Amino acid sequence: MISQFFVLSQRGDNIVFRDYRGEVQKGSAEIFFRKVKFWEDGDLQEAPPVFNVDGVNYFHVKVVGLLFVATTRVNVSPSLVLELLQRIARVIKDYLGILNEDSLRKNFVLVYELLDEVIDFGYVQTTSTEMLKAYVFNEPLVVDAARLSPLGPGSIFTQGTKRMPGIAVTKSVVATEPGGRRREEIFVDIIEKISITFSSSGYILTSEIDGTIQMKSYLSGNPEIRLALNDDLSIGRSLGAAYGYRSSSGSGTVVLDDCNFHESVRLDSFDIDRTLSLIPPDGEFPVMNYRMTQEFRPPFRINALIEEAGSLKAEVILKISAEFASSVTANTIKLQMPLPKYTSRVSFELEPGAVGQTTDFKEGNKRLEWSLKKIVGGSEHTLRAKLTFAQESHVNLTKESGPVSVTFTIPMYNASRLQVKYLQIAKKSATHEPYRWVRYVTQANSYVARI
Amino acid sequence: MSRNDSKYFSTTKKGEIPELKEELNSQYKDKRKDAVKKVIAAMTVGKDVSSLFTDVVNCMQTENLELKKLVYLYLINYAKSQPDLAILAVNTFVKDSQDPNPLIRALAVRTMGCIRVDKITEYLCDPLQRCLKDDDPYVRKTAAICVAKLYDINAELVEDRGFLDSLKDLISDNNPMVVANAVAALAEIQDNSSRPIFELTSTTLTKLLTALNECTEWGQVFILDALSRYKAADAREAENIVERVTPRLQHANCAVVLSSVKMILQQMELITSTDVVRNLCKKMAPPLVTLLSAEPEIQYVALRNINLIVQRRPTILAHEIKVFFCKYNDPIYVKMEKLEIMIKLASDRNIDQVLLEFKEYATEVDVDFVRKAVRAIGRCAIKLERAAERCISVLLELIKIKVNYVVQEAIIVIKDIFRRYPNTYESIIATLCENLDTLDEPEAKASMIWIIGEYAERIDNADELLESFLENFPEEPAQVQLQLLTATVKLFLKKPTEGPQQMIQVVLNNATAETDNPDLRDRAYIYWRLLSTDPEAAKDVVLAEKPVITDDSNQLDPSLLDELLVNIATLSSVYHKPPDAFVTRTHSLAQKTEDGDYPEGDEIGYSESHANPANGAASPPSSSYSVPASVAPASPPPSALVPDLLGDLMGMDDSVVPLDQTATPAGPALPIVLPASTGQGLQISAQLTRQDGQIFYSMLFENSTQVPLDGFMIQFNKNTFGLAAAGPLQVPQLQPGTSTRTLLPMVLFQNMSQGPPNSLLQVAVKNNQQPMWYFNDKFSFHVLFTEDGKMERSTFLETWRSLPDSNEVSKDFPDIVVGGVDVTLDLLAASNVFFIAKRKNANQDVFYFSAKIPRGTPLLVELTTVVGNPGVKCAIKTPSPEMSAFFFEAIETLLRS
Repeated sequence: MISQFFVLSQRGDNIVFRDYRGEVQKGSAEIFFRKVKFWEDGDLQEAPPVFNVDGVNYFHVKVVGLLFVATTRVNVSPSLVLELLQRIARVIKDYLGILNEDSLRKNFVLVYELLDEVIDFGYVQTTSTEMLKAYVFNEPLVVDAARLSPLGPGSIFTQGTKRMPGIAVTKSVVATEPGGRRREEIFVDIIEKISITFSSSGYILTSEIDGTIQMKSYLSGNPEIRLALNDDLSIGRSLGAAYGYRSSSGSGTVVLDDCNFHESVRLDSFDIDRTLSLIPPDGEFPVMNYRMTQEFRPPFRINALIEEAGSLKAEVILKISAEFASSVTANTIKLQMPLPKYTSRVSFELEPGAVGQTTDFKEGNKRLEWSLKKIVGGSEHTLRAKLTFAQESHVNLTKESGPVSVTFTIPMYNASRLQVKYLQIAKKSATHEPYRWVRYVTQANSYVARI
Repeated sequence: MSRNDSKYFSTTKKGEIPELKEELNSQYKDKRKDAVKKVIAAMTVGKDVSSLFTDVVNCMQTENLELKKLVYLYLINYAKSQPDLAILAVNTFVKDSQDPNPLIRALAVRTMGCIRVDKITEYLCDPLQRCLKDDDPYVRKTAAICVAKLYDINAELVEDRGFLDSLKDLISDNNPMVVANAVAALAEIQDNSSRPIFELTSTTLTKLLTALNECTEWGQVFILDALSRYKAADAREAENIVERVTPRLQHANCAVVLSSVKMILQQMELITSTDVVRNLCKKMAPPLVTLLSAEPEIQYVALRNINLIVQRRPTILAHEIKVFFCKYNDPIYVKMEKLEIMIKLASDRNIDQVLLEFKEYATEVDVDFVRKAVRAIGRCAIKLERAAERCISVLLELIKIKVNYVVQEAIIVIKDIFRRYPNTYESIIATLCENLDTLDEPEAKASMIWIIGEYAERIDNADELLESFLENFPEEPAQVQLQLLTATVKLFLKKPTEGPQQMIQVVLNNATAETDNPDLRDRAYIYWRLLSTDPEAAKDVVLAEKPVITDDSNQLDPSLLDELLVNIATLSSVYHKPPDAFVTRTHSLAQKTEDGDYPEGDEIGYSESHANPANGAASPPSSSYSVPASVAPASPPPSALVPDLLGDLMGMDDSVVPLDQTATPAGPALPIVLPASTGQGLQISAQLTRQDGQIFYSMLFENSTQVPLDGFMIQFNKNTFGLAAAGPLQVPQLQPGTSTRTLLPMVLFQNMSQGPPNSLLQVAVKNNQQPMWYFNDKFSFHVLFTEDGKMERSTFLETWRSLPDSNEVSKDFPDIVVGGVDVTLDLLAASNVFFIAKRKNANQDVFYFSAKIPRGTPLLVELTTVVGNPGVKCAIKTPSPEMSAFFFEAIETLLRS
């Protein structure tokens, strides 16, 4: 049970503030902001998501640069509160189309109305956009999407944190389109985030895929949907495969370590033919989350080398090779590598004819950055950098630089090979076929090569 | 819609309030709605628009739900400051609560419950009564929460008007949302009431478990959390519950998963079948790991909980250490928690992998993270004997990188490693000494100085090294000064040559004459006196062998761990503090401004637990390791303490040790209560003893198993005197082949058994590695005799006379011989049997004694014997003659000893 809910801007301005129980002082938002901004406690320089000041417990999550905060005085379930904060953000986004300071301010009456239905006396009632529609009467004022910075194909996915909102659609679930009736469409996105750590010799030390099947439905009449996944999909890793990666990578089966489902999903025939059936509620929601540590082919191989090249000089060679099919293209690739602290100057040498590549040396944190607009499957790119040091290195250079971390987005590609074989809409519209979008995208979470 | 709400924030040049007033009274509905929106906008930015109260209330009577909601929102905010005006709204509220539209009915009770004004509350009861029985589930679920609101305002009213019964009826409602809200409301009311209100019977359990399947995700959490209070009757019921809850582990909502884990863990305590338990552990592992794929905020909560879970059930995630490896983009608070769990899961099998990770972390950018990683390597060395050498070589590699803070952190942990494995790894001292110049942090300096002093005889230039530190003695922080003082004394005792002699004079002079620090001065004086009176004694004291430390620095105290495990999936499990340490709201509103007793800056429990109280000890500075209880129990009895001057010098961590243990460190032999043959290699000897007015259970644990044993806990069955442990059993991890002693303070009259009295203690002891052990211990009654049992002669006579003869019981001990009278009297007095008088009766001596057992029951004793000859007759008169049998046993033991 929570006492207050509020949303603060990055500068600490109160955008939304709702007190449900009147037991926490009014100045809590300021106390909270000051505490987070100047956090100092033992080992940490960053405030943890849950902390206590003078008997008041503060919870917060960051969503698109805004702080969603709840307070309470009692011993509540922290995962409930944090999950709730995320869901409130999602519901508001469903309603407003775009979630930012501007849209919140423009729609404050609607937001307060939503908050009153979502929470009563501090107790969550519902966070389902579908259910809320019956009780919420204000209509959203959609912020003009065109005024936002243009969304590149990759950047659409970068606005969220871990489990991204993901979907490119920025239209409200409830607002009526200016042109009259809504377009019948449904989006299913298979979003995977890869974490991988390569040893200095290129072996995979750890690897993991966190995946989500996200859905956002604009279908009228709430028809039933059937999603069929790989029929040889298996769940639960045998204990033998728990160590290392001895499992057979040759066989085609996709083995998930674990998965969970949205509450609307019915699993009646999941065990038989790996199909999920559901009546999708309005709004964006994850149909299924899954996790996989089975061996998979990493999309990129990274080679990094740092060598001494005379006194006060060294050379770095970075190579990235795309190990996926040439029909696939990765976007917005960025490699970063911390360099020795005494590095004073870096000069870069790109491969001849390089297009869409930029390099930078961040003086402040001594970091090398190499960005590539795109990489086509099967290709390989190299960067050479000459470092100048301000002082003599007294130890092994490799100990003082690296590891190389990579971020990227690869549309229409997924490393796990989990597939949506078909997407069936039970009750078809009489007039025309609804639009069905099934999209795959893979992103780096923690993609690291040690040197 | 083309309106733009932000325009309501714009101000007009004309007076804003009059303009709004005018608009609120407009004849056009749309204009009025816009005006209310403007008012609310002003309200949310903190402007005072309370003067418009009447005008806003006038807009309340409308069919337009949007407008109605806005007015209600305004009312909630201002009703409190305008109670007289609020009454104007009451009629509309009551009318709305009977509106044909269920949304309006619900809205009316919901809002009335939020207006904390007595006049409104009075009018709330009838509508609420109706709404609790409404046909529409939306109204009922709103009414259920409203009961909790009303209870918060006026608890008596809720009880008098029978709302609690209506609420309990809703548990059987056919709508799961209503059930969930009723459960939430009842749970809150129970929390704020001392009477049992929301009792969980097996019928309720069945109902709620059924509702669980149909509830929304949030309702599931309410129900699971409420059910976690349910105590299953037996293993079978527990298994049934678990079976119903396990499918919830597959839920996408992390709160549902964690609350289910909590429920399962709790029921597991009752389940006896190891197969079932193993199976459950296997089922819980993947969902727990999956929590780490959620948002970082949720990961943090999951990690704090997992930290507790692996302390109790390390097997659950024993094979999952890889998932706790840090990602480069994890927030720092996640990384720190992951490190902590990696240390907990580190084992001989995975240590190479773990060290590889730590080594990598130790070269990262974030200084605090790097330090913690270095410290983690040291803690693994202390935890895993077989891996210690590998850990040390990693530390040496890191030292060679010569990053200042890495070196300093490494030296601090190496000092702890030296204490854990004395005389094993001193070969690396040379490498350490190369880095003296870089040390600028007090803790690192103090650690290095401790190492030099401790191994002065093996470091050829120890005197030079120490001398270099001595130059700045007056400027050093206290921590360093204390170490310098002790190290110099050690050096002098080990190498009593001219150089050290001069040094010691300089130090003693500095530390006595030139300092304001009483700790430093006192320690210096003691050394001075020791050295000048008896250098050999000084050697014994200062160079005494130090107890070996164990890594329990981040292990929670077992009883705290128990409490926290009950509170899994609550804030308590994130702070690692019991709820009463941070929950200040006993009854809402009552203490709004009260400052909790919760020290600021200590919210999240990052400080390594068991921080050492002694900061002036000669032991390695600020070590967070504790020594086994055989030398210094963690919580010694309060009355048996002396200031630990000696222990201080001997380099013990705790500032206090029990008196008797400094005298006889081994302690008296104790009777074996659990032989090793029964305890699968664990032998327990124990005896109830009395020391300085307090009863202790003196225990000796000997581990002859192959594995370290930890997590010891003890429980006493109900017994005649209600003896129970006064605190948790303080037994550190027990390595194979070692033993430890502890004194467990006891209290009386805690869990009294009915039935015939006896002096048998039924004891259960468990640890994390073995099954529960049970044993019986027959204790001697005399430990209960209190110190105030001595009576005046006259009182004695009076009491004797006042008791009827039927209260007198006697017994003969034909073979006991009372030898020396004085010896016997002293012996008895030592056990609080006090001599009153003696008389001669023919050739026999008759002695009178008094004793007292707790709660003031006196025992009057008459012993008749011929001194030096066998045969003692003991008569006892007491208000509780049923105790006499125990007394006879006790006196027999005492006289024979």
